[in-house]
Amino acid sequence: MSMPLAEEHEVQHLPVEFADEKESIKITGFWMFLVTDVLIFGSLFSTYAVYRGAVAQGPSANQLFQMGPVMLETLLLLTSSFTIGLGIYAMRKGNVKALMGWMLVTILLGAGFVGTEIHDFVSFAAIGATWHTSAFLSAFDILVGTHGAHVTFGIFWAVTLLFQLKKRGITAQTARKVFTYSLYWHFLDIVWIFIYTFVYLNGKIV
Amino acid sequence: MSEHGNTALTIKEAYEQDNDKGLKFLRPHFAEEKFPAVQIAGYIGSLVLTFAAYFLVMNHVLPPAALLAIILALAVFQAGLQLGVFMHLKESRGLAWQLIPLYLVFLIALGMVGMSIWIMLFKSGVS
Repeated sequence: MSMPLAEEHEVQHLPVEFADEKESIKITGFWMFLVTDVLIFGSLFSTYAVYRGAVAQGPSANQLFQMGPVMLETLLLLTSSFTIGLGIYAMRKGNVKALMGWMLVTILLGAGFVGTEIHDFVSFAAIGATWHTSAFLSAFDILVGTHGAHVTFGIFWAVTLLFQLKKRGITAQTARKVFTYSLYWHFLDIVWIFIYTFVYLNGKIV
Repeated sequence: MSEHGNTALTIKEAYEQDNDKGLKFLRPHFAEEKFPAVQIAGYIGSLVLTFAAYFLVMNHVLPPAALLAIILALAVFQAGLQLGVFMHLKESRGLAWQLIPLYLVFLIALGMVGMSIWIMLFKSGVS
């Protein structure tokens, strides 16, 4: 028990998702996918940076954005990133029930996020602020919409994983799938941090 | 982790098998996870950074340009927190090869967005 930390590290075994060589290489492959997704969001952020002032006859960012729903979305997504993190922790302990529970919480929080976002977009459309209105709104809708579409896809992905976990339990394969899903989910949280900062908060500065 | 100990390699074995070129900077790092204290700290840290940015902006404590610079710095710090705490970015079986394309794409994205912002500063006298 009183062994020094370095000694403990040397006998530390690979977590279950890295235990199999063929499964483990797919995690590296998934990192490559995330790298390409950074480029997609990078170009959408660039487009937004260029067009954010081009409001034509429509509302400006400061007039349009309501911070209440945005803070709710931020809290929901941040918390879901935390819960899937706890899920991975449970997975490495071999606790399939806890993993499935945390994934379910993550799915519900994600659904709350998407619901709030859709409500937001519908209320924008109700006052005539659609992506036809101005270059600013086109850039805004495509950036935030692409992120929302990613989150929506992630919810369905998580549901399929729940069925696989129910049927097969934690194996090298299902563990790898859950781990790549968690990488995807945390990545979407990082993208949201920048949308929150560069789109919403920035819209309130000027 | 010890539950899988009978079948899995140790982290050190996987690293030594993979590392025939002595690439020290790609050495994988796994967090010791006895209790999810790291995750809880990461969550609280993210919340603090999020609300700090919110209050800075809503109370207009600084001139616009300085405010934007500060909240972007907070966002980058929080992104790093997510990558390190939750995404386990240095974990790998053997060398953590994902680090090279990851750092490269951060550079590209930063250049793309940063230069777009920069070029727009020249468009008119008012920006």
